[in-house]
Amino acid sequence: MKRQFAILIVIGFFASLALAHGNEQHLMGVVKSISKSSITVQTTNNQIQEVTITDKTTFENAGAPSRMDDLKVGDRVVIHAVKSGDKLVAHTVRFGARKAASVHSR
Amino acid sequence: MIVIVIVIAAVAYGIVVIRHGFSARDNPSWLESSVARKTRSMAVPSSAKNMKNPVPKTPENLKEAEEHWADHCAICHANNGSGSTTIGRNLYPKTPDMRKAETQGMADGELYYIIENGIRLSGMPAWGEGGDNDEASWKLVHFIRHLPQLTPEEEKHMESMNPKSPEEKQEEQQEQDFLNGQSEPAKKSKPMKH
Repeated sequence: MKRQFAILIVIGFFASLALAHGNEQHLMGVVKSISKSSITVQTTNNQIQEVTITDKTTFENAGAPSRMDDLKVGDRVVIHAVKSGDKLVAHTVRFGARKAASVHSR
Repeated sequence: MIVIVIVIAAVAYGIVVIRHGFSARDNPSWLESSVARKTRSMAVPSSAKNMKNPVPKTPENLKEAEEHWADHCAICHANNGSGSTTIGRNLYPKTPDMRKAETQGMADGELYYIIENGIRLSGMPAWGEGGDNDEASWKLVHFIRHLPQLTPEEEKHMESMNPKSPEEKQEEQQEQDFLNGQSEPAKKSKPMKH
């Protein structure tokens, strides 16, 4: 029973793909298509999600500031976005592998 | 006659406000913003406005202030001073974009006074003891002046100094692992709220 419970917890933990922070959502997935004003992503639960890009959206490639032009179909992306009406508007799009940032402590 | 018009206008405004309700998501009206700015300005004594920054603007002091800002201020003001954070966007009044003229046009002493004493009826707390020689606050004034010239590299560096909860650190690690190709993209199915 304990084992089943533990498995359930682990499954529930790894079941997270769209991590919500109030109005903010975190999407992980693979880029399926790119247009001038949006990115379509196949999320980690096989949902197709279109995310709107604005002039305020920032791009980050392997931890360094980047541009939308550097993003390609097939790239893995992590998108932080906010719900605006029926649209999901990205404020940060991260892609490219890098080492995890060190966490500053005081 | 003027008094009657003012009373009628006040009653009409009151009815509109009561019907609409109160929400921190709203933007303050022009009238509220004007009154609040004037009141804030009046709340800073003229002696404080005339204070000069006694701390030199050196790269070391600027770096120290940058770390201080990332650790204490960025949660509302954002690393780049835009105020575009979950808290900043949803406060009433909204956290201002400190790169703009409304903030950059204030005197050094005025900025220092606000850091030390806060602003009543807003989200800005008093961070100091109210004296005029808090070096850390004066260094922050230098950093506020630097905000319009903040580089993406500086901003990125500050991100590593932002305070994070254990859940945020775990989430950040999950996202990084995914970008590094260490987890399969098609296994997760349920949103997690926190």
